[in-house]
Amino acid sequence: MTTPLTLRPISTQQHRDLIASRSSASFLQTPGWASVKAEWRAESIGWFRGDEVVGAALVLYRQLPKVRRYLAYLPEGPVIDWSDDDLGSWLAPMVAHLKQQGAFAVRMGPPVVTRRWSAEQVKAGIADESVRRLGDVPPLDRTQDGARVIAQLHELGWQQQSAEGGFTAGQPQFNFQVPLVDENGQPRSEADVLAGMNQLWRRNIKKADKAGVEVALGDRTDLKSFHDLYVHTAERDHFTPRPLSYFETMYDALAAEDPGRIQVWLARHEGDLVAATIGIRVGTHAWYSYGASSTEKREVRGSNAVQWAMIRHALDAGAHVYDLRGITETLDSDDSHVGLIQFKVGTGGQAVEYAGEWDLPVNRAIYKAFQLYLARRG
Amino acid sequence: MSLSLTVDGERWRSHLLRTVRTHPGIVPVAKGNGYGLSVARLARRAQWLADHVDDTGAAVDMIAVGTYDEVAEAASRYAGDLLVLTPWRPFGAALDLDARISSRVVHTVSRPDDLTALREHDPDARFVLEQLTSMLRHGMTRRDLAAAATALGPGRSGLRGVAMHLPLNTTSHLGEVSRLINDVVASGLPTRTVFVSHLTEAELGRLATTYPDFTVRPRIGTDLWLGDRGALSVTATVLDVHEVERGDTFGYRGRSAPKQGHIVVVSGGTAHGIGLEAPTGDQSLKARAATLARGGLDAVGFVRSPFSIDGKQRLFAEPPHMQASMLFVPSGARVPRVGEDIEVRVRFTATDFDRVVIA
Repeated sequence: MTTPLTLRPISTQQHRDLIASRSSASFLQTPGWASVKAEWRAESIGWFRGDEVVGAALVLYRQLPKVRRYLAYLPEGPVIDWSDDDLGSWLAPMVAHLKQQGAFAVRMGPPVVTRRWSAEQVKAGIADESVRRLGDVPPLDRTQDGARVIAQLHELGWQQQSAEGGFTAGQPQFNFQVPLVDENGQPRSEADVLAGMNQLWRRNIKKADKAGVEVALGDRTDLKSFHDLYVHTAERDHFTPRPLSYFETMYDALAAEDPGRIQVWLARHEGDLVAATIGIRVGTHAWYSYGASSTEKREVRGSNAVQWAMIRHALDAGAHVYDLRGITETLDSDDSHVGLIQFKVGTGGQAVEYAGEWDLPVNRAIYKAFQLYLARRG
Repeated sequence: MSLSLTVDGERWRSHLLRTVRTHPGIVPVAKGNGYGLSVARLARRAQWLADHVDDTGAAVDMIAVGTYDEVAEAASRYAGDLLVLTPWRPFGAALDLDARISSRVVHTVSRPDDLTALREHDPDARFVLEQLTSMLRHGMTRRDLAAAATALGPGRSGLRGVAMHLPLNTTSHLGEVSRLINDVVASGLPTRTVFVSHLTEAELGRLATTYPDFTVRPRIGTDLWLGDRGALSVTATVLDVHEVERGDTFGYRGRSAPKQGHIVVVSGGTAHGIGLEAPTGDQSLKARAATLARGGLDAVGFVRSPFSIDGKQRLFAEPPHMQASMLFVPSGARVPRVGEDIEVRVRFTATDFDRVVIA
């Protein structure tokens, strides 16, 4: 019989150390992320077996309007041993603690993969008229670990939040990732990764190179340039941009934990900024997080050039995965989101489904009211 | 002289072909009284469906029987695999299978211990693992399945899939089926075949798109054999007619006629299942009130019978006998002549017909 797990708040340093001891964790689970989400109260909690910290989570407490009750939110977390077939022993002390803190419900996103599809399968799915959603395509793999987590969460009374259609329910359930190691865990070569991309991507990378696009890793002072281009992109593509201060806060918070954790990338052509991105890396997992591109000079393919530079950088840093983040589940060629999927799919790699976000109502009455409030807010 | 089931053969066969065509992977169920048609006849018909694969595009490579005692009856008339729905137990008829037939049998295993025992009894046994559903009848939990997966290992074994027996009358089975399929994945069992029952066509369609990597095999009985009710008619022969005045006594129990009319004696009695009320499963208040009312009628007067004359359901003059029933026809109504056939409404699963005529 192993020592039972206990849970208590931990210091930022303990939290950092636990994450550093893991191969990877979502950047949304790093203690630094708390300062990005300053409007919510944050807490680092740790699981202990005896004196040893064996798990950690960043909890964001979102207050319900007017009452002192909170939704305890653990985005893409917690960081625990999800392969354990006794998840109840991990989750029970967590829920007890969060309840004591005034949580009326707990929401989490187990960082567990449930299904994978190859780029070819996604491409064929988009081309196939009868296929509307990624789930209609037979996956390469349904993971036993993922299914076991889902079965246990059902058994433990958690409720899966539907993510059907778009990005509506918090963090995306479907992501696109380029594996940077082979099946045996050995690093892939640049040539191999490049060969995995579709012809258009390879041609565009070459084109950018020939046109003289130069990609450089920037620093904090370059955030302003990134942001100017990002505001321009937002206007063109009709989304609401975040303020510069958001990115500055994110940069400071993440860079303070690890100097390589957040990067600003700039692609220039003859002095003009044609593309800019923000990349994040935690352990062996590298993310493409935000991107911007100019409307002028699209023909020099700055976006492809900057992605390729980020991928090479991730390979050099020993990353196992290059993550292009969310895609929608739709494979309907008439859907406006499909262009984004096609761009990401061109990198080769895999579409990956995670277990999604799950809620555990602690106070059923307030939870119901909260859902009504969300529904009315639209 | 008999209680007969007459089948419009042309119409029935085309319904069978249509059902098989729209349910690829179908496992026809032939059990119990054969839905009134007998297991033997259904097994023969299943073979006929298998022989029409060019027409339907669906191979009928397996049928399901209810018990081990039914295996022999089906096996001599149908050439494919025989899935036994009653779970295998280390005792009883399951152990007495004829060796010539046992290689065609697919067992249902619902307890981890039985898996071990079955494989000891017959190392070549083929089987499906039944999952515990909300019915809580037979079946294995997620952890049982995981234990079975460990026992079987990743290599080839007799495992032919998992089976789930779902309850009737629920709003939708999809939530439960999704959880059960997820449990199969979680268990690590090396199979992607699922045998299901009682799913609507829409639900089967949704399953096929949601689990394109799974083979879903619907077990279908009622909707296959009795799905086109218009092709089936049940009749009883009028055997005798007696005129009675009010107060006349008649029958085994010496009842007296409540008013002037006729006692009509028809074929069909308790031996056929007539008058033995099978619970309908309808739990509405109205249905329960109706059951109570029928019980009350029984005590003081006549009970409604399943026999109807000229479209009007007639009352039992007294409880049915073994092979015949006495009906009361009040004066004023047409009296059927001896030898005439009248209509009967029965539950097919609870009726044994004297004759089945496939026209």
